[in-house]
Amino acid sequence: MQLVFLGKFGELAPKGLASPTLPDDVRTLADLKDWIAGQAPVLGKAMALTTTRVAVNQALVHDLSRPVRAGDEIAFLPPMSGG
Amino acid sequence: MDIRITAAPFDPNAECAAFAADRADAGALVSFVGLCRQETAGRAVTGLTIDHYEGFTQTQIARLAADVARRYRVPDLLVIHRIGPILPGEAIVLVAALSTHRGDAFEAVKVLMDYLKTDAPLWKKETGPDGARWVEPRQDDRLRRAALENQA
Repeated sequence: MQLVFLGKFGELAPKGLASPTLPDDVRTLADLKDWIAGQAPVLGKAMALTTTRVAVNQALVHDLSRPVRAGDEIAFLPPMSGG
Repeated sequence: MDIRITAAPFDPNAECAAFAADRADAGALVSFVGLCRQETAGRAVTGLTIDHYEGFTQTQIARLAADVARRYRVPDLLVIHRIGPILPGEAIVLVAALSTHRGDAFEAVKVLMDYLKTDAPLWKKETGPDGARWVEPRQDDRLRRAALENQA
């Protein structure tokens, strides 16, 4: 599994979080978010304080009860500011 | 439809000319260029850096552009968006539309720019004498985006 942290999340994410070894009880995207907050509290707080969108394999996912799978690329996106 | 994400500076005038070349079928070319300012809200800006999500940024912008092209019956759109470091005075984004008449082209460019502000996977960081800060979406951009949703 690959985790991708964009924008300000990228600055707050410890390097080791990109290819994590997850405990068995991390089954869904919501579990994964909680686990990340435990591993990197500053990042977890930043993700909780803003509207964080999640993309799985390059598609936005709104239902965080989706299971996470070994080959997934999961990205955490802070509010966008293009243009 | 030409959607480009680039780390290299580009010349908006040359790009518009190339986009409109050999298009005698079009009666209108409307373009918007967003530039990097040297100050924002009273703070000096020495540069911007734009983060993107490889692959995803391009496909999302292409999706937004296709949606706008369909809604405003605009046959062709051009989007060029910079990523990486950008200096004051440089173009950040170019959006251009070719259409038969001006009304649709004006609307398409305006609406696509509104979408790019809130829905393009890009993250701006401003650097100034006091350090760097990530840019948050502006409240008026969010409101415009909500209004677009209500029209759709």
